[in-house]
Amino acid sequence: MPDRKPRVLIVDDEESIHLLYREELEEEGYEVHSAMNGPEALELVDKIEPDIVVLDINMPGMDGIQVLRKIKEKRPQLPVILCSAYPEYKQDLASWASDDYIVKSYDLSELKDSIKRNLAKVGF
Amino acid sequence: MPELRRDPIVGRWVIIAKERGKRPSDFVVPKDEVKGGFCPLCPGHEYTTPPEVLAYGRPPGAPPNSPGWSLRVVPNKFPALRIEGELWKEGEGIYDKMNGVGAHEVIVETPNHNETLAEMSPDRLLQVFWAYRDRMIDLSRDNRFRYVIIFKNFGRAAGASLEHSHSQLIALPIVPHLVNQELKGSKLYYDYKERCIYCDIIRQELQTGTRVVCENHEFIAICAFAPRQPFEMWIIPKRHHSDFRAIDDRQFRALAEIFSEVLKRLNTAIPRCPYNFVLHTAPLREPYLEHYHWHFELLPKLTHIAGFEWGTGFYITPTSPEDAAHFLREITLSEGGQENAG
Repeated sequence: MPDRKPRVLIVDDEESIHLLYREELEEEGYEVHSAMNGPEALELVDKIEPDIVVLDINMPGMDGIQVLRKIKEKRPQLPVILCSAYPEYKQDLASWASDDYIVKSYDLSELKDSIKRNLAKVGF
Repeated sequence: MPELRRDPIVGRWVIIAKERGKRPSDFVVPKDEVKGGFCPLCPGHEYTTPPEVLAYGRPPGAPPNSPGWSLRVVPNKFPALRIEGELWKEGEGIYDKMNGVGAHEVIVETPNHNETLAEMSPDRLLQVFWAYRDRMIDLSRDNRFRYVIIFKNFGRAAGASLEHSHSQLIALPIVPHLVNQELKGSKLYYDYKERCIYCDIIRQELQTGTRVVCENHEFIAICAFAPRQPFEMWIIPKRHHSDFRAIDDRQFRALAEIFSEVLKRLNTAIPRCPYNFVLHTAPLREPYLEHYHWHFELLPKLTHIAGFEWGTGFYITPTSPEDAAHFLREITLSEGGQENAG
């Protein structure tokens, strides 16, 4: 197990989501990084080498599914959790490239469980 | 003058806007944006899907969920219905409901990311139909299920969200309303004439020939008399049977051959035409039915469904099935490939 806090990259175009997730996830002992859009997320994947990505789907410009496919092309083993307000994106088979799909909620317990579970798969 | 036509089985009315008389080249097919990047259905990425329930083509001894397959069937990773749990039904006043028990599977038809069904040889297409039957037989052992619907969406306009060629299967604890309509319509006809309406359709279409696209010794492909979409085609076995699971080896090969031809003709008439096809077959628990006849319905997605269609159940088609069949018949196909419209 690496001797440091796990790095979580949150990708979402809503500032309020970043504030909420950062506060809750830092409390859980994670190092949290933020990207507001797809291109920024792809840049940060290279730069900060996150251990897990929490990715919104409905974003302007490059949507989360496109970002997912590009992240997995670069780093297939990097866990990515899709987190969307819209369950219908589950019908998009491209979302299968993700490691989990969570419908957004202000109760973050499902997201926290998923982060913990998927980090464990990569040695945290 | 437009023409109203009635589907003889389900009684659905359509309007054939003959004066529009659209030819294949008049349809504008939106170009699907190739998004590229990681594909969860490609070989080498088996770890991204749930464990497979069926695979063909791997050498003996190769482990499951590894590359080397020619076709693979996997449960949906994020299914709309769940396989686990007992089926319960309850009433809420006048309303009925039940829990969402079902199976949702994806048939990955090829390991090649960009290959389409229209480009596949009949030999390769054959295994797609094998997979349909194998999965139907397996799922019919589960007493909770009453119907298995198998369908394909090709092209984003037809609902395909991923370019890697695949079809889908959903096992349901109920018989869908549309299937019941077909069963009732064909039963009414049978009670009156003591003949299967689909067998009569085959006889009449072969006699007139105007809506026949192609045929072989086991199957006929026709443009439907009352189509919901331009170039809507039905592929019907000439031998009567209500249940797709009863298909034999001879029919398998003939089905692959006619399907291959139909898709090549459509793809030549309207390149990369988005379409849906659906297998229509008898419910799982029904014995052999004299009045029903399994078949495939293929609907190109070329017109929009909007308020009029939702409000009336009518469809408006700008190409008559006779013209559509003529265009499709006139296409010259080369050996294993496609040429141009005559």
